[in-house]
Amino acid sequence: MGRYIFKRLALAAITILIILMVLFLMLEYMPGSPFNDEKITAAQRAVLDAKYGLDQPVFFRFIDYVKSMLTGDFGVSYVIQKNMPISTMLEARLPVTIQIGAQAILLGTLIGLILGIIAALRHNSIIDTLTTFISVIGVSFPSYVFALALSFFLGSKLHWFPILYSPAKPIVSSILPTIALSMFTIATVARFARSEMIEVLNSDYILLSESKGVTKRRLIFIHALRNALIPIITVLAPLVVTLMTGSLVIEQIFSIPGIGSLLVTAIQINDYNVILAVTFIYSIMFVGIMLLVDILYGIIDPRIRLAKGEKHG
Amino acid sequence: MRNVKLAFAIFSIIFLIAGCSKSATPNTPATTENTTPSNNTTSDTKAKVLNLGKDVELASMDSAIATDGLSFEVIAATIEGLYTIDADGVPQLAIAEKVDLSDDGTKYTFTIRDAKWSNGTPVTANDFEFAWKRLVNPETASEYSFIMGVAGVKNADAIVAGEKGIEELGVKAVDEKTLVVELDRPVAFFNSLMAFPSFYPINEAFYNEKGAEYALTSDALLANGPFKMKTWEVGGTTFYLEKNPDYFAADSIKLDGLNYQVIKDTQQSILAYENGDLDYIMLSGEQIVNYQDSPEYHNIVAGYLWYLSPNQKVAGLENLNLRKALSLAYDKEAIVNDILKDGSIKADFAVPTLLATGPDGKDYRETAETYPSTNKEEALKYWEKAKADLGISSINLELLFEDTESATLVAQFIQSEVESTLPGVTFTLKSQPKKNRVELMQQGDYEVGLTRWGPDYADPMTYLDMWTTGSPNNYGAWENKEYDELVNRASKGDLASKPEERWEALKKAEGIVMDQAVIFPVYQKGNAVLIKPEVSGIEFHSVGVNIFYKSADKQ
Repeated sequence: MGRYIFKRLALAAITILIILMVLFLMLEYMPGSPFNDEKITAAQRAVLDAKYGLDQPVFFRFIDYVKSMLTGDFGVSYVIQKNMPISTMLEARLPVTIQIGAQAILLGTLIGLILGIIAALRHNSIIDTLTTFISVIGVSFPSYVFALALSFFLGSKLHWFPILYSPAKPIVSSILPTIALSMFTIATVARFARSEMIEVLNSDYILLSESKGVTKRRLIFIHALRNALIPIITVLAPLVVTLMTGSLVIEQIFSIPGIGSLLVTAIQINDYNVILAVTFIYSIMFVGIMLLVDILYGIIDPRIRLAKGEKHG
Repeated sequence: MRNVKLAFAIFSIIFLIAGCSKSATPNTPATTENTTPSNNTTSDTKAKVLNLGKDVELASMDSAIATDGLSFEVIAATIEGLYTIDADGVPQLAIAEKVDLSDDGTKYTFTIRDAKWSNGTPVTANDFEFAWKRLVNPETASEYSFIMGVAGVKNADAIVAGEKGIEELGVKAVDEKTLVVELDRPVAFFNSLMAFPSFYPINEAFYNEKGAEYALTSDALLANGPFKMKTWEVGGTTFYLEKNPDYFAADSIKLDGLNYQVIKDTQQSILAYENGDLDYIMLSGEQIVNYQDSPEYHNIVAGYLWYLSPNQKVAGLENLNLRKALSLAYDKEAIVNDILKDGSIKADFAVPTLLATGPDGKDYRETAETYPSTNKEEALKYWEKAKADLGISSINLELLFEDTESATLVAQFIQSEVESTLPGVTFTLKSQPKKNRVELMQQGDYEVGLTRWGPDYADPMTYLDMWTTGSPNNYGAWENKEYDELVNRASKGDLASKPEERWEALKKAEGIVMDQAVIFPVYQKGNAVLIKPEVSGIEFHSVGVNIFYKSADKQ
């Protein structure tokens, strides 16, 4: 097992390095520069390029960048907050993104499970149809549609929740973004929970337990749910990734000072170091989650570990 | 029976969730009440806090590094220079209480008033000398270092070019209270430049103490102006300025604070305004129509001139008749009234209105010539001539523009206008992100480009020196000796000390640009804003610092 984990880790590190390299090259060949404004003359640009080391060949810059990155130095922002160390910006912004993402995953999983289970138990009833309806809406509508609708009805019309994020009230002001972000999770989890539950409820061992006289409550929560949960855990990993991309838009709409809105702004104005750093964080999150899932698979089902171990060994 | 149990199961889960959210609620009111300044205003009418919605982050509070409108606005709210600008756009003494100008107009002696920084130290002449030398120091890499040369401060251009040491800059603190500034030549708009953040003082001791951290956080900032930075979260979407009790004219400041909220999504910013969370927002595009009749709607003329630049290196565009034909072929009224609808005005000039006041005390445009506007028949005549000159029957040109909503609509409209007015002329549209658009134009890699220019100082020269030979902003590579000479005399030559003659020379120079169709002006930008009726006294300017809050009030 240890060897398997080590191999996966090494692979993850190489993946991240390659991502960085590709990004670096893409930014290099992207037209424009962070200092491209009507006002800046060629001479001033040369001064700025020299100050930030942008006049060096791309290869050396990449080596330098990776070296300083390993010490936690992501360089400074060129445009968004001029000369601000990006590590400081990330320190302030990352927790906000993680907080809202985690809230959305928790809320989404919980609601999704409840809906899915009810739908399965009341198979072909109105609740079941309703759940399917919600699932379809949740999967097919992009999260910003929910964001706008929620701000309009719950925020502006009913005044229940603030429509803009405020660092002074991080819980209340994160309710609307959390709901908007969790819709996709709710829909996906509900769908999976429903089909898994239906399958499990019709399986032989449940029928046996039922005939043995196990109470309905015990039957659902102890016997059925546990087995239905395992496949759901596997879809949660890609869901977390979907949340990350969703957060780009949601943060923009609710004015949330997270890394998603930071990335969007940085891309629009060529703030190279910010783009690199945030994408790097996203890559780590992505690769990290995939790694975790792989390892979890290995623990849950040894057959997977063996198969993979053989392949890589 | 089964139903009852099921219902029980569901309810217990719901209670579980409700329990979770309940345990979270008691904490929130406590955190809300005391920490948000904006929240205080809604509950407590005594605190007058203006809630301002902005669509960009605060990029820099360092007066030598900042380059954008919001940064300048916030810096100017916290720091004052030798002069400030009053509601009418006229420079008034601020940190300087007295000024003596030598007879030849090249030596200013300022007496600094008793003013304090927010850490209690006095504002001294040395704060200016230090800040100015830092601005031109190549190590600072300030994007605005050129403005010291525009102000005519002795040796500024040579220092920026690295030919002289910063010690040779024509600024000297003779003692704590006396600042002497030497100029290369008299500069008519020197006083108004002194109200621009690049010329604001910086406390040297404080700067050295903070080092690389200077101006990056609210702790690393000093104020001597109406407000001071209270909270500014790193990379945050809100920041708060509170009234500065140490400001020398603190008694005249009516507001208790300015609460800035960064909102990128325009739809959301309107909701927040409607909600009462914000007192001021900017409108854009489609939303403007919905609010045009509201008493809270205001149009503010900005300095930006949008124009088409023909690249004269492109075959055909070197022909004056073709350029004239193009410049007259599109309906500018329709662009401002039907497309932009934001208070923009059509531009039949190269130097915008409300930019500069002449020696006669009148706005430049009042006495300058008026130039032909849209005239489709004339345009067609010029096109016929151009066809004969060039021996062609049709021409295809590429129209480069940036991918914003308004620029795209304007470019599409110009395309259809030109193609219908001038049969045989076709425009191919090329949309690019702004930075790329600018780069392509700077490299001369375009045919016709839709671009803009914002004024740096209150003088026609901020536009006219763009089109001199070799200027980096002369994208179209137009060359004219007479024009170069006129502009040179007016900016650095013999006319610099003769204000009336200089003014006439500037008008003449503009005449050449228009006659030669060096640019095809389109419109002067207007901004559409919503301001709550209880707010008054916000001062808008089209040059330099765009907004001042020193006279603002909220009922």
